[in-house]
Amino acid sequence: MGFTAITTVAITLFIVGVFSVILFDVQGVLNSIEGQVEIAVYLKDNVSNDLKVYLENEIKKWPEVDSIAYVSKEQALEKFKVQNEGSDILKEIQGNPLPASFEIKLKDAQKVEQVALRFVDKDGKSIDGVDEVIYGKSYIRKLFSITAIAGTIALLIIIILILATMVLIYNTIRLSIYARRKEIEVMKLVGATNGYVRAPFLFEGFFEGFLGGGIAVVLLYLLNKFLLIKGETVIVETMHIKNLAILGSSNIILIAYFGIIIIGGLIGILSSGFALRRYLKV
Amino acid sequence: MNIIEFRDVSKIYENGTAALKDINLVIKKGEFVFLVGPSGSGKSTFVKLMIKETPVTSGTIFVAGRNICILKSSKIPQLRRNIGCIFQDYKLLSDRTIFENIAFALEVIGKPNYIIKAQVPQVLKLVGLYSKMDSYPHQLSGGEQQRICIARAFVNRPPILLADEPTGNLDPATSESIMKLLSRINLIGTTVVMATHEKSIVNAMRRRVVEMEEGLIIRDQKRGVYGS
Repeated sequence: MGFTAITTVAITLFIVGVFSVILFDVQGVLNSIEGQVEIAVYLKDNVSNDLKVYLENEIKKWPEVDSIAYVSKEQALEKFKVQNEGSDILKEIQGNPLPASFEIKLKDAQKVEQVALRFVDKDGKSIDGVDEVIYGKSYIRKLFSITAIAGTIALLIIIILILATMVLIYNTIRLSIYARRKEIEVMKLVGATNGYVRAPFLFEGFFEGFLGGGIAVVLLYLLNKFLLIKGETVIVETMHIKNLAILGSSNIILIAYFGIIIIGGLIGILSSGFALRRYLKV
Repeated sequence: MNIIEFRDVSKIYENGTAALKDINLVIKKGEFVFLVGPSGSGKSTFVKLMIKETPVTSGTIFVAGRNICILKSSKIPQLRRNIGCIFQDYKLLSDRTIFENIAFALEVIGKPNYIIKAQVPQVLKLVGLYSKMDSYPHQLSGGEQQRICIARAFVNRPPILLADEPTGNLDPATSESIMKLLSRINLIGTTVVMATHEKSIVNAMRRRVVEMEEGLIIRDQKRGVYGS
């Protein structure tokens, strides 16, 4: 039986599994960072109440905006005091130098720049009543482009590995067709049906893929149990992100295990099917 | 009743070789026909076309009244179950016993075990090799192997037996015994078509002779001899 083919399926699908867990977790972390993306609009001290209310109502109407909160000068100072409790800096402060602000949360973090730019006129100056607009523009953009590239590379590697696996199974089946060519010849001559002639080879391909998938799942399970789960525990403790591959409640890891075995079987059947079409004209 | 009929059949291979040119031939049920002619005259092509191992280029072939040229590929196994084939190189499986070799032909067309157990010994008695049931092909002589090949072709009782140079590897005495066996099978009512270029066999049998040369039938004679 095709030992090489089984091993290759196992390694390939194992790598696919590891990538999936990591990609899923990175996606989870990103989503939660996305949720934390805010635009802070600092207002000028002399802004009138009318203008403040007008701005707040306008911003609320924007479709990208999830929520908006007004932080007054006093609230800002309170927050600052809480964050810097015990620090010398508090003694230096006289009066209230902190501005009032709107904290805007967005439905889609990728629109942050687009929304922030509305507070700036065409000369690059802030609009009336607004002093400064702050948002994490460059790091958000980088983060998204890096994960997009990493995802594409991972996908490419997976596709290449799956193709390599298919070629190996294809070759195993080709060899076993060759080894049994006399038997096949006799079968065809005495009138065995095409299905009867093909079935053992299809089964062999399926078995190799299925077994390889099974081994991959066992390896992945061990890796998760002893290594990846530790990483996820750290993420949960520090970032409070719940929806992870192994620790999460969504059973995503069980679906992945199941999927890997199914994919293994499919790879096997497909590649032996190709080999049969090419080498077994019945 | 016409069991085999070729109507204007031509076969041109992909490399351009015209193996058969407008062949018309009728073989009746129960006939014994020799196809004779030198190598490359189209005898083997004739055999291959009948079991649809290769398609015709033009024309029509009828086997047992059915046009096999329009046969779907899923129906080809059915056609081959009606035609037993015998070859110069026997095509026996060397890792199986004689019993298993013949049983194999029944197994792969889905016959149940009890039929296999009844029919294999029966056909082995017919070819006179019942005692060699548990031997392997390499333990048998060439003539014995050919008789096993005949047994395998005949075990399913097909109405037609096609033999492509069945005595090509055998000495004259052994060939004679193979011919006797084929005659007996023919007497039971089986149509036998045999391609050969062995003069002595054809002359001794005095059966219908169809002579081919360069893809054409140049002679069709009842109770003929090799060469006119």
